[in-house]
Amino acid sequence: MTVRSRGALAITIAALLFLYVPLAVVVLFSFHETGSLSLPFTGFSLRWYRFVLSDPGFRSALENSLFVAAWTSVITLLLGTLASFGLARTRSRLRGPLALLFFLPITLPGLFIGLSMLVFFVRVNIDLSLTTVIIAHCVYVFPYFLLIAIAALERLDPALEEAAADLGANGWLRFWRVTMPQIWPLLVGATCLAFALSFDEFVITFFVIGPDGTLPLYIWSQLRRTVDPSINVVSTLLMTVTLVLWLVAFLFALRAARRKAASGDDLVAEVVPL
Amino acid sequence: MSEQAAAVTVDHVTHRFGSVVALDDVSLAFREGEFVTMLGPSGCGKTTLLRIVAGFERPTKGRVLLGDTDITRVLPHRRPLNMVFQRPTLFPHLDVADNVAFGLRVAKVERAERDRRVAEALRLVRLEGYGKRRADELSGGQMQRIALARALVNRPRVLLLDEPLSALDLKIRLEMEVELRRIHRESGATFVYVTHDQREALALSDRVVVFNEGRVDQVGAPDEIYHSPASPFAARFVGDANVLPVQVTRVDAGEAEVAIGGQKLVVQARGDGARVGPAWLVVRAEVVRLAEGGSLRGIVRDGAFRGTGFTYQLEVAGIGEPFKAEVTSEGQAVLLPLGSEIGLHWHPSACVLLAREEDG
Repeated sequence: MTVRSRGALAITIAALLFLYVPLAVVVLFSFHETGSLSLPFTGFSLRWYRFVLSDPGFRSALENSLFVAAWTSVITLLLGTLASFGLARTRSRLRGPLALLFFLPITLPGLFIGLSMLVFFVRVNIDLSLTTVIIAHCVYVFPYFLLIAIAALERLDPALEEAAADLGANGWLRFWRVTMPQIWPLLVGATCLAFALSFDEFVITFFVIGPDGTLPLYIWSQLRRTVDPSINVVSTLLMTVTLVLWLVAFLFALRAARRKAASGDDLVAEVVPL
Repeated sequence: MSEQAAAVTVDHVTHRFGSVVALDDVSLAFREGEFVTMLGPSGCGKTTLLRIVAGFERPTKGRVLLGDTDITRVLPHRRPLNMVFQRPTLFPHLDVADNVAFGLRVAKVERAERDRRVAEALRLVRLEGYGKRRADELSGGQMQRIALARALVNRPRVLLLDEPLSALDLKIRLEMEVELRRIHRESGATFVYVTHDQREALALSDRVVVFNEGRVDQVGAPDEIYHSPASPFAARFVGDANVLPVQVTRVDAGEAEVAIGGQKLVVQARGDGARVGPAWLVVRAEVVRLAEGGSLRGIVRDGAFRGTGFTYQLEVAGIGEPFKAEVTSEGQAVLLPLGSEIGLHWHPSACVLLAREEDG
């Protein structure tokens, strides 16, 4: 599409500025040499990075976030792959209702998920900890993963598996030699997304976390105490990790799409919710 | 059916999809080493039967035998037969050689033997040297040849082919027909071929099975099907014949007198309709000669030049549909003008009479 009118161009630029200037300001002031968070910007320095990285509170929050995101993405990868195969392949009448149940959490506000999970954990006497955070994050991330995995599976040509069966491959070989080589880039991409979603999740975590803290919670608690560029540093780091993961996810999706290009499908447009 | 060993026997197979009957009590035997084609319009059940033989569908009723072994309940990956699909189903993540080697890898054939057989299979389909190419770098015809090589490398007793040429351009299709005949001769396997293209069926096969609405209409050699169709359906579907409703008024001494559009003709008493009463008279378009005189006359409604001759559609009194005639330019040098009246002639032995129920 071409931008024809100057008005549309101006509005587009204004909207992009509105979106990205606040982000740029956060990043810019993370490199500020003084403790001031307002203009004028007096000079570059890495002192706040050194300060944050040596802060034990930050380090444990980072470790916790990585721990939670890693477990969440691994569990989601396993359960999500199984569920997507089941849903994509079953001929059962339960397929529709099951899919609805799996995807429902995507429509629920984080506040609602967080609160109901909290009530649940308290009722069944599970102590709040990083484990409960992982469980809650799995609930939250699962439908996003499933969406991509099912899209990938439904794009597979079922005739390829028939051809493999015809050539003597049993179900296990068909899965590893034919299906997986075609869908793994998308599964890796979806896992990166799961990691990113978990890594910067705040609302649900807020409800179900016990005495520990994750990075988003750390930022929030720092905000209440001090206002200096160390928050900008943490935010910038968080943003960078998330951005890189999304980028990786996108590249894997692109790779899968390029493989599929021979059959003329535009996969990226459909499965990457950008 | 024959004293020759049957490679595959289809024994009273009925198959339903829900309430739709795709195959209705079909029994067939495919002989060892023959090229047999199942021919019929789309939806006649021919592909379903192929998929039942391959194991992708389990028949509602009936059995499938491979040699003497009942394989009805054997899963597809345990059946020693291979299939070439309508679309080239090459694995996109593997190169050509790995595609061809797929079945050998699964069967754990050791490497040296595998490489040798892959090279041999590529040579058979005349694509030696293409091993390192990716599947999407090939043309449609090349992809189908690789699919053939991928199936034949496993040395199947029976090769199933599901309209493998239907997605190709006419020119490549004609080349591939020559290739298929050669590959069949060289491999020695039984080829079971499915197509809706009667020309392809006649050109390729040792035997043709004509399917109509889930039933076998006729089985026979291509020339037999062509010259002695067993039903109006086979006559119309194979080779596009004129099928005319007539009354047989007299049969004696191998000759039948028929009434058609108020005219009387004498034809050879051949076919199951050669008895007094209603019948179908089957006349191939290319046996018709157009000349002055004769009792049966038609008016030219359409004429077209076809290189080797002309094709005409004529209006004949007493016949609902247009009468088709193909004449060579040898017999007739110029196109007849539209609207002209001409006599229709054919040799008395060049037609068949088929039984017809009296129309109620």
